[in-house]
Amino acid sequence: MSLPDRIDPPPPKRIYRWDLDKTYLKTDFDTLRQLVRTALQSADQKVTVPGAAALIRELRERGDSRLCIVSGSPKQMRSVLEEKLKLDGVEWDELILKDNVRNVLRGRFRALRGQVGYKLPALLESRARGPAEAEEILFGDDAEADAFIYSLYADLLAGRVEESVLLKVLEHARVYDDDRQRTLAAWKKAERADKVRRIFIHLDRLTPPARFSVYGPRVIPVFNYFQAALVLMADGVLSAPQVVRVAVEMVQGAGYNLLTLANSFQDMIRRGHPLQELAHPLVEALQAPNPIMNAMRPVPDIIAAFTKRLSVLGAPPPPPRPVQINYLELLDDARPRNEKDKDLEDDEDEDE
Amino acid sequence: MPRPITIAFDVMGSDHGAAEVVKGAARLTLESPGIHALLVGDGDEIRKALEEIRHSGERVSVHHAPVFITMDEKPSDALARKPDASIAVATRLVRDKEADAVVSAGNTGAGVLACARHFQLIPGVRRAALAAVYPTQQEHGEKHDPFSLILDVGATVDAAPDDLVAFAVMGAQYSKVISKNPNPKVALLSNGVEPQKGPPRVVEAHQKLAALPGIRFSGNVEGLDIPKGRADVIVTDGFVGNVCLKMLEGVAETVVDLARYAYKSKLRWRAGLAMLSSGIKRLKSITDWEQYGGAPVLGFDQLFIKAHGRSRSKAIANAGKVAAKAVSANLAAAIREGLPR
Repeated sequence: MSLPDRIDPPPPKRIYRWDLDKTYLKTDFDTLRQLVRTALQSADQKVTVPGAAALIRELRERGDSRLCIVSGSPKQMRSVLEEKLKLDGVEWDELILKDNVRNVLRGRFRALRGQVGYKLPALLESRARGPAEAEEILFGDDAEADAFIYSLYADLLAGRVEESVLLKVLEHARVYDDDRQRTLAAWKKAERADKVRRIFIHLDRLTPPARFSVYGPRVIPVFNYFQAALVLMADGVLSAPQVVRVAVEMVQGAGYNLLTLANSFQDMIRRGHPLQELAHPLVEALQAPNPIMNAMRPVPDIIAAFTKRLSVLGAPPPPPRPVQINYLELLDDARPRNEKDKDLEDDEDEDE
Repeated sequence: MPRPITIAFDVMGSDHGAAEVVKGAARLTLESPGIHALLVGDGDEIRKALEEIRHSGERVSVHHAPVFITMDEKPSDALARKPDASIAVATRLVRDKEADAVVSAGNTGAGVLACARHFQLIPGVRRAALAAVYPTQQEHGEKHDPFSLILDVGATVDAAPDDLVAFAVMGAQYSKVISKNPNPKVALLSNGVEPQKGPPRVVEAHQKLAALPGIRFSGNVEGLDIPKGRADVIVTDGFVGNVCLKMLEGVAETVVDLARYAYKSKLRWRAGLAMLSSGIKRLKSITDWEQYGGAPVLGFDQLFIKAHGRSRSKAIANAGKVAAKAVSANLAAAIREGLPR
């Protein structure tokens, strides 16, 4: 028997797609000063959203996945961002950044802030390049239009969106003609398959979770990555010790404590995610003789806090029901963030 | 890292419904990162309300207690019939160290009674007192608050001289902690400023307060001195205090009604009011009771803040902040220290 000339790695079973700003990195660029400060930050000055790096490391642990990052940060920041990811111990396969210099030079000022015309073709092109059978789990935030773009991307791949709808979305988002053509071409090239399992939206701006119910149960707003890890454990993507390691990073690095973690757990159950069954394996993982778990002692207090949150909640609500997403009714969600900020401020003014 | 302060909010029984209290607690989690909110009430109602508003899910937890006591129920009967009413559950959670203080906009009597059943009186205090803030002409403390504190306004109808002395200490300590008034002026409400004026219990309380070290007792004040703000803390029994407070509220409402009448009656008066409108708005904002959130029940080892039944989210959030401030300053210990030995 002769050995093969080379052994190709098995194709990835899963693709994780992450946004960077406000999803992976704690970034403020709401004012010009913040924007300048963000642009001038070195890698070690950039701050990771608590638990994000640990979650990615755990998701990548089995070596059967790809990490694709699509960020609206300019290409000029590539070296700083790459250094930051390396500092966090995060290995990536694709890092797609926005060519804003080119946009400025070509006078395409709408493209500087626009998200749909940038992210949607980037996602579809990346998908067309990747393995057709891989499932996807996406991570974004509530600052821009991630829930809208990711959901549209998922439904375009699944063949649930007609071309006429896509064209109307692109038109409403005032996407430049060449980007429209790119989007259509990439969509036609990508294989039709219903592969996007979850879309996590990090609630950086603490947007009310109910605002995402129009996107159905595939979109899960999370206040932190411990919540995302719990859902992924229920989905069989992560094991209990991996979830605990995410929690440990949040406790050690970002001041999370027993109360905030127990509250986060209860919040997910309150929102209809059936995570009650996770309690037992999590307890077992916590009791394992592992030095890293020392950050999570005393274990009986943790068990008591979590079980208490469960027992006092009353009957849990039913899980969120699937919905038919009407993208044409949600076109406003695809608007740039500064316009939506104004709406949120108006809402809060009305509350006064 | 210091342990976060948890405030239990009884979300049921307020005039504006559970959603408004939930909104106030949610607002607190956005404005004060060090404070956690434990929402006690109908789990389903709370869940629906929370989903629709901005809040920090990491600092909110829910305790399902769907039964509640309405405003018109007799407190003792209602608590006997409904031992698991939200107000009783919230106070028990504080007793059991699940939370550090209670805020409720529900039935006042039921709140005070729940405190009496589940909390311990501070050693040296025989009766609890309900304290209320009211707007005054003079400003008080480091924060220059245009408010004074009056207690008791309804918890203890018959107060003995020693009770009035304890109320004075409780009010002074509360003023020190909340209004940042290092040396509050405490006065006894009577029908004359002379020490011998008033019923025997007031005269005796006057003598005891005058001899009590550690308190800045300024003697008696009369009813007309209340709105003038001649003292930072005014001490009286629950019967008189309640009558005074209701009268102050009645006068304020009547003034507003008269202004409305004037506005409608003559064009010249309307023009005059329009010219004064910015001043009236300013006056309204500096005497806005909502910034004080509510009335504390003082005398127990744990704190209970009774928010007004009509409280909107701002008042509820501020009641939570006041409660947290009192907890972090360990108000109960400060009161214990100040009481006569």
